[in-house]
Amino acid sequence: MNLSATIRGTRLRFASVKEVLAKANAPKSGDDLAGVSARDPVERVAARAVLADLTLRDLRENPVVPYDRDEVTRVVEDGLDARAFAAVGHLTVGQFREWILEPSTTGTMLRSVAAGLTPEMAAAACKLMSNMDLMTVGAKCEVVVRANNTLGLPGRLSSRLQPNHPTDHVPGILASTREGLAYGCGDAVIGLNPATDTPESTAEILRALDDVMQRNEIPTQHCVLSHITVQMKALALGCPMDLMFQSIAGTQGANAAFGISVGLLDEAAAMMKARGSTKGPNQMYFETGQGSALSSQAHHGADQVTIEARAYGLARRYNPFLVNTVVGFIGPEYLEDGPQITRAALEDHFMGKLLGLPMGCDACFTYHASMSQDELESLKVLLAAAGCTYLMSLPVGDDIMLNYQSTSFHDIASVRALLGKSATPEFDAWLDRKGIWVGGKPGPRFGDVGVLQ
Amino acid sequence: MLEPILPNVLAVKRIPHASADVLRAYGADPSKHTSLGLITCDQDDSLYVALDEATKQSDVDVVFGQSFYAGASHASGRLSGEVLGVLAGADPQIIEDGLTATLRCLAHDACFYDADGKGTVTVFPHVISAVGRYLAADLGVAVGEPIAYLVAPPLEFVVALDAALKAADVRSLKIITPPTPTNFACAYLTGVNAGDLAACEAAATAFAAAVVDVALQPTR
Amino acid sequence: MSRTRSLMAQLRHARGENAPLVPTMPLPRVEAPPARVYVPARETTSTTAAAAAKHTTALLGIGHVGTRYATDVVLQFQAELAVAHSAVAAELPDEWAAQHGFLPLQSQATSHREFLLRPDLGRRLHPDSLARLRKDAQRGPQNGANERTLGAGPDVQLILADGLSAIACMGSGEQLFAATKAACAARGLSVGTPVCAKFARVWLQDEIGAEVGAKVAIILLGERPGLGTGDGLSAYAVYGPKIGNTDGERNMMSNLHARGIAPEEAAPRLAALAAAMIAQGVSGVKLDLTGIGAGGREYRAPQVRERLVVRDA
Repeated sequence: MNLSATIRGTRLRFASVKEVLAKANAPKSGDDLAGVSARDPVERVAARAVLADLTLRDLRENPVVPYDRDEVTRVVEDGLDARAFAAVGHLTVGQFREWILEPSTTGTMLRSVAAGLTPEMAAAACKLMSNMDLMTVGAKCEVVVRANNTLGLPGRLSSRLQPNHPTDHVPGILASTREGLAYGCGDAVIGLNPATDTPESTAEILRALDDVMQRNEIPTQHCVLSHITVQMKALALGCPMDLMFQSIAGTQGANAAFGISVGLLDEAAAMMKARGSTKGPNQMYFETGQGSALSSQAHHGADQVTIEARAYGLARRYNPFLVNTVVGFIGPEYLEDGPQITRAALEDHFMGKLLGLPMGCDACFTYHASMSQDELESLKVLLAAAGCTYLMSLPVGDDIMLNYQSTSFHDIASVRALLGKSATPEFDAWLDRKGIWVGGKPGPRFGDVGVLQ
Repeated sequence: MLEPILPNVLAVKRIPHASADVLRAYGADPSKHTSLGLITCDQDDSLYVALDEATKQSDVDVVFGQSFYAGASHASGRLSGEVLGVLAGADPQIIEDGLTATLRCLAHDACFYDADGKGTVTVFPHVISAVGRYLAADLGVAVGEPIAYLVAPPLEFVVALDAALKAADVRSLKIITPPTPTNFACAYLTGVNAGDLAACEAAATAFAAAVVDVALQPTR
Repeated sequence: MSRTRSLMAQLRHARGENAPLVPTMPLPRVEAPPARVYVPARETTSTTAAAAAKHTTALLGIGHVGTRYATDVVLQFQAELAVAHSAVAAELPDEWAAQHGFLPLQSQATSHREFLLRPDLGRRLHPDSLARLRKDAQRGPQNGANERTLGAGPDVQLILADGLSAIACMGSGEQLFAATKAACAARGLSVGTPVCAKFARVWLQDEIGAEVGAKVAIILLGERPGLGTGDGLSAYAVYGPKIGNTDGERNMMSNLHARGIAPEEAAPRLAALAAAMIAQGVSGVKLDLTGIGAGGREYRAPQVRERLVVRDA
């Protein structure tokens, strides 16, 4: 395994695969903060040159956190599909990049090898790809899942309706929910981030959302994004729960900071299987985001893109219905500005899809990051063009509880109209019936909450 | 002069699971074909080239390809044109891929050209850089050989074919003299040396130029 | 382009035909304008908006123009964004602290950008500031090399800081500081030298509090602005401040501004919190909040949405 490259006569040598992966990464303030980034563009391209010639087998044999020290590495290695890996393991990262870009490599083929890829492989390919490369492959990948409706079909763009409220006041939550539905949003999930993390309030909100869905016969799912242990207690109280949520990260240590482990997730998934209220086989919902491992000092000297991919390696174990990166939420110390947030969103979507996940994205920024509203709107179009499964949706994109800027109800409708995308087939039929979205454009009752009971 | 005259596709239909009698009647083999794709078009030769292209892009077989008497101007109906092509394959996806290739070729490649600036004399001087299974079987050449597929009205054709054969190192595979269903005449040429694409191109260019010359000065 | 088409194009060119080839689509015709266009009248007061406003500050019932916002909504939205962005961009002037009677301190961050990108630097005092704190602040007696015994200094060390909104710090910060100081004094708690820290993150309270030997450190700092709110402060309190404390050991109150929790309301709660910490000897998750009325470990009051854009007729 060669770990050096010569750029214009200067030979640059790297100590480990982990260092090569980190230094090959596109510039990110979080990698600078961790002290793992390339010192200049020349060193970055040297690392990429080395990476291009490593084989996928090399990457499997050199995970960024050792097998015996990290349960995420163990989940990935023990769960790897030997036959799928055998098909691609001999390729170098450079050859793999070309193979996935090749038009004859179809979405079906990519899906068939996904189970043989480790997160480090997805991250490695990502580092050799430009934004448009990431979009080209992302758009090819097809990951279709089912809960109460069918998510991830080609030509679709779904949305999570996020009716957050600073005090979890149920009538306020329902006001935002009704409005979002009237704008054609919420086919991925109606998912609330609670202000109060208790089983009782989780159950109360789920019952209220369930009531709206039942009365209006809306084919979607609900979820309250409290801590997974809180949701388990709520489920034990006997409330309806279509999807179970948890934030996850790419190392055991970072997950410990979230108060979770593989054992706990296994237990939660088993409980959902027994008591969850969805019809389909996919019942879990995970959120991730570059930088979360560093913020809990559990990054093991690896870069944030590779660690992010490892979170997807963990998510894969549970055949989730939804996975999304909350790309700009973490702040400028990890993703400094519009270009870095845009890049990270496209990277995360690509890696998640390549690893076989129904990847969505919370395209967002906090007000102390250097990103403009126009840049954020552009990012939503890029993501939708790249085949992103779903985006968030809030009133004017403003989260009044978490204080950040994301996708609005209007944005979802605009992107669908611009790119000719529609909601999931079940939900789209409901929108058509209600006159909310008809024939690829706003219908007569678009934005009219009067259509809902 | 020599502007492309684009073929119009008149109907495209799929039969995912065709009955055995229909399969047999149109030359398919029920033991290996399940699905059919049907296409009609107002230029028979363009469609034949396009069907041949489909055999390169997909596992389809061209089981039927017949021109209708007196051509598109005297068609039996609005959707008939002057030719019916039938693709057969093991499953609907193969048919879909075959039809996609056929339509692409009709839109972007095979077509007649205007030889007199008025559209009253036309020529089909088509070069296939690598022939597919359909025409290769009909002409007895190896799949992948370059050929020139040359069509013109009866008199123009004689002059032009002579010019084409003299313009490059080519030989004829098949010559069809009138009367034919559409009353055009047709010849298929290939290089004397296998794989000689340049010779086919030179022959097709000379053929087209000669038809134009005849069309401009028909009596001198 | 197909091979045959390009051959024919060459032949055509060789024979002197230069007219453009197909496609020769006719250019679209520009229609004559209508006599006058009308914008459909929009409801200026939406019943949905009014009904929703009783329950949430989310911008509901704003209608739509096709799939986009009406102009009024765009302007209000941009004004709210502008408020948030200008609050983040503002810097605390170097002389402000001293002019307002605070001992001026600064973290190890040396520029605003570095402060945003390096949270680690914002959590530690610059050496000059550390020296100033040791020289000029009221501190408990020393027990070893610069180590202070817990509680040897003041009961409460109050720290005002810029955080992510210098505007909030310079706005209601001073008033909240004074009110909290008075509320602590009213409960019989001693309060240390007033300090104001620039480029400060929450955890800076650990180093400052430890240096002066305070029992409780409370930092009042500008919070990350939200849409339309650039002047909010958060307060974080910790018992036994020392470097290495985690967030689980802190209690916080946020949304402290005129439209959220006003200073005169927040100050007594903070003093009550400090008193409870001293009485129980803990803070954070372990602190029993029963009867304190501080509204939970992370209390957040609902806020009122302001109309920011008024277009003069």
